[in-house]
Amino acid sequence: MLKAIAARDEAALAQLYDRYRVILFGLLMRILNNREEAEDVLQEVFLQVWRKAQDFDENRGRPFTWLVTLARSRGIDRLRTLAARERVAEAAAREAVEEFSDAATDAFKSEQRGLVNKALAQLPDEQKRPLMLAYFDGLTQSEIATRLGAPLGTVKTRMRSGLMNLREQLAGKGESFGF
Amino acid sequence: MVHDDYKEMIPARALSALDAAEERALNEHLENCPECRKELADWQATAASLSLASDPAEPSPEVRERILSEVRKDRAPEVIPFTPAPRRNLWTSFGSLGAIAAVVLFAALSIGLAVLWRQNQRLKSADEFVQLVNTPGAQVRELRGNDPGQSATAKLAYDRNGRAILMASKLPNVPQGKAYQLWFIVGDKPPVPGKTFVPDSTGNAVLNDELPRDAVDADVYAITVEPAGGSSAPTSPIYLRTF
Repeated sequence: MLKAIAARDEAALAQLYDRYRVILFGLLMRILNNREEAEDVLQEVFLQVWRKAQDFDENRGRPFTWLVTLARSRGIDRLRTLAARERVAEAAAREAVEEFSDAATDAFKSEQRGLVNKALAQLPDEQKRPLMLAYFDGLTQSEIATRLGAPLGTVKTRMRSGLMNLREQLAGKGESFGF
Repeated sequence: MVHDDYKEMIPARALSALDAAEERALNEHLENCPECRKELADWQATAASLSLASDPAEPSPEVRERILSEVRKDRAPEVIPFTPAPRRNLWTSFGSLGAIAAVVLFAALSIGLAVLWRQNQRLKSADEFVQLVNTPGAQVRELRGNDPGQSATAKLAYDRNGRAILMASKLPNVPQGKAYQLWFIVGDKPPVPGKTFVPDSTGNAVLNDELPRDAVDADVYAITVEPAGGSSAPTSPIYLRTF
């Protein structure tokens, strides 16, 4: 699909959007906690995909990884621009998430979602927190150390162990993440 | 720092959690170390799976429309609708079956065009339409309603490059906030959305669209009524279609 997009196939871009919008928008909502900003970044992401699809190298990873990495990185950039780290009363501000269609969730079977959540549930909290703070809040290791009041060296070790642990838990099930 | 030190930093780099100085140092190393680049790609795949820990959410339908209209703007310079049809090619290749077919097609469509002209009185659109059907390999398909009493009809012309013009007449007005939308249906696959359009006060409409590559010679072209921004899948019964 990315090859077709690189060849300026607009319908392929629409298909890619239909397939991934729900997961990417969910990710951006989690990062930004603001519908308007998340939609704006989602648009940016797909326009970037349109312009940069030829840069995607299938030897270096799967389309899913490429897209998610791109979306997450744009989301974190936006978060930093907004200096919105002190998100107001997270739970209260969290906007209602509209229902999503079966067709759109098809590509992201609850099975895969379940695997990730299960794997995360198995991680000790001390490993999970640095991962989540880095991934969804865009904090660096030093910032995480400050936030958690833990020595930097400890945070580094726990983050690495956490990601290794996650990889092991998902190992052998990895194929299902290729989409 | 040695290779192993860098290698240890890669998981954090996949989470983009390195502090600036470390990240710069690692990036320099990555440029010269294919092994670490491969390692980074693997860790990035693991990091990407974290995205599935967020709840899925549905963006507003307008986002899709905004993206596609930006993209169309982007493409616009590549599509030159007013380039005169390559007549010279037609005549220099005269004698080939293709040229004969083109001439027959041209004659047939000229008659059709006269009708369209009367129907629409839209010189420019008709001109574009005839230029399109004059392109070698161009096709014209007629769309009708299921109900024989339905008077609305449309013609869709398209060329091998996917450039398409739809001319419709006697379309009923759509309610506020709604629009007609074109669809391309290939085999058993889900319909691929085309552009939306709204007829003028006399029920005529002209739509310039680009067919997706796999929708050139689609089995069915159809029109439904959808929310004004368009839908990604049809939400109403087919109003007009090819047979």
